[in-house]
Amino acid sequence: MRSEFNRLVIVGGGTAGWLSACLLAARRPELDVTLVEAPDIPTIGIGEGSWPTLRETLATIGIDEARFLSACDASFKQGSRFDGWVDGSADDSYYHPFTPPASAPMAGILSAWSAQQGKAASFAGAVTPQIAVCDRDLAPRQRAMPAFTGALNYGYHLDAGKLGALLAEHGTAHLGVKHVRAHVTGVERGEDGLLAKLLLRGGDTVEGDFFIDCTGMAARLIGDELGVGWRDRSDVSFNDRALAMQVPVAPGSAIASQTVGTAHKAGWLWDIGLPTRRGIGCVYSSRFLSDEDAEAILADYITAKVPGADPGALAPRKLQFATGHREQFWRGNCLAVGLSAGFIEPLEASAIVLIELSLKALADAYPHSRSALPRLADRFNALFRYRWDRIVDFLKLHYVLSKRGEPYWQAQRDPATIPETLAGQLELWRDHPPSAADFPQVDEIFSAFSQQYVLYGMGFPLPSAARPAPEPDALRRLAEVSERSRALAAALPSNRTYLDTLRAAEADRGAQGAIA
Amino acid sequence: MSNHQTLNNSDHAALRVHTGAGAQFGDAAMAALVVPNEFRQVQVHYPIVFRRDNDGGRFNALALLGFENGENLFLEGSEWDAAYRPLSMAIQPFLVGRPVDESHEPTVHIDMDHPRISADGEGIRLFDELGRPTPYVEQISAQLGDLHVGYEDSAAFIAALERYELLEPFSFEVTLANGAKNTLVGFHMINEDKLQQLDGDALGALHADGHLMPIFMAVASLSNLSELVERKNRREARG
Repeated sequence: MRSEFNRLVIVGGGTAGWLSACLLAARRPELDVTLVEAPDIPTIGIGEGSWPTLRETLATIGIDEARFLSACDASFKQGSRFDGWVDGSADDSYYHPFTPPASAPMAGILSAWSAQQGKAASFAGAVTPQIAVCDRDLAPRQRAMPAFTGALNYGYHLDAGKLGALLAEHGTAHLGVKHVRAHVTGVERGEDGLLAKLLLRGGDTVEGDFFIDCTGMAARLIGDELGVGWRDRSDVSFNDRALAMQVPVAPGSAIASQTVGTAHKAGWLWDIGLPTRRGIGCVYSSRFLSDEDAEAILADYITAKVPGADPGALAPRKLQFATGHREQFWRGNCLAVGLSAGFIEPLEASAIVLIELSLKALADAYPHSRSALPRLADRFNALFRYRWDRIVDFLKLHYVLSKRGEPYWQAQRDPATIPETLAGQLELWRDHPPSAADFPQVDEIFSAFSQQYVLYGMGFPLPSAARPAPEPDALRRLAEVSERSRALAAALPSNRTYLDTLRAAEADRGAQGAIA
Repeated sequence: MSNHQTLNNSDHAALRVHTGAGAQFGDAAMAALVVPNEFRQVQVHYPIVFRRDNDGGRFNALALLGFENGENLFLEGSEWDAAYRPLSMAIQPFLVGRPVDESHEPTVHIDMDHPRISADGEGIRLFDELGRPTPYVEQISAQLGDLHVGYEDSAAFIAALERYELLEPFSFEVTLANGAKNTLVGFHMINEDKLQQLDGDALGALHADGHLMPIFMAVASLSNLSELVERKNRREARG
């Protein structure tokens, strides 16, 4: 049946805008999709780490994995490593990998892990072979494997600007997306109050039935036009500034398999390895750290961690942000996706995955008739309010478990700043490990196993449920992980080898295409 | 050409080996040597036949993979379309090294000129950073051990087949669906009539030496000939 909302109009051409256009056009081919983008507004392009969900998204859109990796200067991301978060000592480091722990009841796994702790490694290293692979800078797959599959779960690190360009080209060439380059100067509403028409500079207009606001922090539709309020979350999440730098790397240098987040005295640094550069940034709270001190922390990190780099030769980009989200994400016939919906520090790369989940929810239940709009909006708003609460809780968990003594870190542990839901979960997890019962939604962003990796990576005490002596089955599972670690460490190529070989093959293919 | 070296964790510390299937790795062969202790697995997929080696000497057992030189009907690009690969192919580019004398165990050798030797950083490593053999090398060592035992058993097995005159030459004419013909010559198979006529003493002796089971496995394997023709027909039909 033809929808009363057949004309879909997306405003904004960043990652959120082009993902919206491509994914909706692919999932709902009956829609007439138009993307309106101001020609000279720079995109933020901070979301350079994805979740494994991006594989399914790209496959749905119809973009070849090899082409994506090469066009977006992308690398594989198998999780995050957190250095210095517990006490800042030299060996203070733990992983939050994408592959779930060995499948057996977690209480039993914990008991087996603690029984063999004397000889064995970290919690993550004991329960998944992914750590052995990450420690060696190896890729999660071999080139001969079918696209988008791997020996281990993975997402990507990528150049967000290049992803936008690739999606724009693919969406307009293959998915029928109309691309309008113009400034939006105004919005007209219908008699029913729904958005009806965009007024463009120069006098043109674009009519639409449903609108997606991807205008970033400007929030032109959901904020300016519809006046939906902002819910501030900076009482829980303190960081409000970032300095970002792109540091070129030497050819042939190792490419890390994970995002590295390194704690400093009033925040943390991100480090994302791509084939040609490392994106490094310093996130901090302006209440606890001056911009000058943050710059010094960033320069020290680059000097220490990137061989041959000269931080003095590079100027950091300064970003200020407000942490929070809309009171509602969907109002009337308008959905906010991306930064217009909300922002939180990129500690667990939640930006792109939130975009994907929003679009999946919209595509799964795209409105056909006006009468359904209020209920669809209510449902979406309840679900995404839940998701934001879970993200805020999960990011806070990284700070609450720290033992660092600087004023910033002490303030992070002030009970007045810890959401009640998180405080309640922490109580519960002294009794039993995080389980699906604690995170009952389908498509939880941070499911029980993510919480387990952070809890036991940071030395949270084992729950009462893990006290009995380990079962033979759980011990066997851990022995399997150790065998699999050896096998995968031997079988997988390095990220550098994989990506250099792939990029050379793609360049050849491109050259042949040009001749043909 | 070949360049055999004794496998060790200093010369081969960072070496990788391609383990996938492919003509570029030397898999495009019409037959593979097989040994009696793997006949049970071999007969699931391949016809087992016999041929005198090049200088007209002793018989070898072979798994038949195709009908003409260079044709492996189980090889589909980078896939080997059967759950079991004969040991003599699975262990490539490794070989059993002859021990210096009787008191030494056989060693693992590697052919450094074999196309499976990787120069591009892809493939499986043989040793980890600490010089310990990887699970892949452990598996190869076990397979080489099986193959070594198999080679040693082969002589007695073939001698028994000849003693009871159980090998007979056969020629097999393959007529394809498109009318084209391929003829297999120079191969031998087990003569089922002769096998049926063996008396209890002979069967008892074959059984006591462990030869009876592989003989029947080889007989059963011949039902794979028609499947091999079908593979050929499918390949011809695809053009």
